[in-house]
Amino acid sequence: MTERIYLLPLWLRLWHWTNAALILTLCATGVSLHFSRPGFVLIEFSWAVRIHNVAGVSLACLYAVFVVANAISGNWWQYVPKPPGILQRCWLQTRYYCWGVFKGEPEPFKITLETNFNALQALTYWAVIYMVLPITVVTGLIFLYPNFAPIEMFGMDGLLPVAILHYLSAVIILLFAIAHIYLGTMGTKVGSLFKTMITGWHEH
Amino acid sequence: MPIEDTPLLYRAKRAAKVATHAEMKAAWRMMMKSLESAFAVVTLCVTLLGGSLAHAQSTGLSAEAIEKNRVANLKCFSCHEPAALEHPPQAGLDMKKLRAAVRDPDVFKGSDHGRLACTKCHNEGYDDFPHAEDAKDNTGTCTDCHSKKAAKIEEEFEQSVHAKRMADTFTCTNCHNPHLMRIAAKLADPKKIVDQDNRVCLGCHDSDETFAKYAPEKKERPPIDDIHSWLPNARMHWKAVRCVECHTPLSTEGISHVILDKTKAERKCVACHSANSALMVRLYRHLAKDEQQKYGFLNSVILSNSYVIGATRNQKLDYLVAALVALTFFGVLLHGLLRYIAKRLREKK
Repeated sequence: MTERIYLLPLWLRLWHWTNAALILTLCATGVSLHFSRPGFVLIEFSWAVRIHNVAGVSLACLYAVFVVANAISGNWWQYVPKPPGILQRCWLQTRYYCWGVFKGEPEPFKITLETNFNALQALTYWAVIYMVLPITVVTGLIFLYPNFAPIEMFGMDGLLPVAILHYLSAVIILLFAIAHIYLGTMGTKVGSLFKTMITGWHEH
Repeated sequence: MPIEDTPLLYRAKRAAKVATHAEMKAAWRMMMKSLESAFAVVTLCVTLLGGSLAHAQSTGLSAEAIEKNRVANLKCFSCHEPAALEHPPQAGLDMKKLRAAVRDPDVFKGSDHGRLACTKCHNEGYDDFPHAEDAKDNTGTCTDCHSKKAAKIEEEFEQSVHAKRMADTFTCTNCHNPHLMRIAAKLADPKKIVDQDNRVCLGCHDSDETFAKYAPEKKERPPIDDIHSWLPNARMHWKAVRCVECHTPLSTEGISHVILDKTKAERKCVACHSANSALMVRLYRHLAKDEQQKYGFLNSVILSNSYVIGATRNQKLDYLVAALVALTFFGVLLHGLLRYIAKRLREKK
């Protein structure tokens, strides 16, 4: 019989899927805006602006809720990369992704109630959620209220550095999302981790 | 020392006759000084000549004529400047009438017509005070000077929404205040161009009072905020671009005078928000020749004023981002494929 643990509370799963939907929406509309040109219509420009604004403000609110809920529930501890031996754990995880997984080796670190994430996951999640996402959110809000942007920088519109930071931080999130969705297929079965993320129950 | 006080030859000859060493040295110094003065005078002449030639080219007037006009205009401004309202230069003036005819001399001097005499247009009946009763009716019109330009503009204006609604009452000066306006090429700075031109449109279309003054009877001012609700950040657009960017058809010869109403105006955001931005042949057409894709940005001259999504992109950065996304996507795809093959091979064994 397979071992089951209740890993993810409802609020965390709701946050995750809302966050995912908003980020995918923001990526699609963001691409439509940044690469807009006649003939290329992923989402029509003025609609893309509206959707991006609504989804962006929703993401900013959701992020604030997540940070508070994470702090209250103690879930924040899961995201803290914990030394000692963190480099060794990262190396073992990398080795597994590059070699062990092809040989059919088991994952080097089992998911437990105490430790939800392997060292690489904790490091990446921590960096994306607490370093990159705030940059995207804050620069996005300045984009929405450009009066807060510097008027001029280096002889150019002050919105330019804000725009570049928004673009690059959003690209990092997109790269993360691609890798994240793929790594979601690396459970016991291809769909196991997706199932966990829906039901909250993890099966070993 | 002015050159006429030091006749060069005379002094040099005199210095040669008087043979003392000290006098020779003094004469030599004087000669050099005279040469310097001569050089300075020649330089001054060339500068003045060049300056007045350039002046004459840009205004069609000589420096002397401009100065003459300035002095003549002082007489007009003695009554028609704002200060005259506080301290009337003479008793018995109709202050209400004067208030409507007051112009700021500094603003006028900065305008395209600022070097002309007031009497160039206000030419009959204004020599004496009180001015002639019919003086206003005899004021010159734009076509008196701009006949060639006006013929082309007239054709365009006929198709304009203003001509359709107010054919009899709408004239050049409804939009182009001759005491204020500067042409875009001379203003050069897009912010100043937008500020000047949008003030003209919004002056009527954002004010019930002014709109009622010019619009046909019973015509209510269309609520411009509602009409532009489809345009994200409409009021911010109006600070960055001109109304005519969208409300005129694209023309190869500058901005057209065919003012389009809301049904025909540009509604495609990508017209400006794209690499091939229409802004480069509209608001930024005067700067387009300086376009050098600074720091790798497309349409970088626009960046001096505005970041325009889709138009002011950095292509190198975009290529890098596209490469990173492709690498990640195909990387995980390959990893997945190898995982699948490895699993099948293990199952076979």
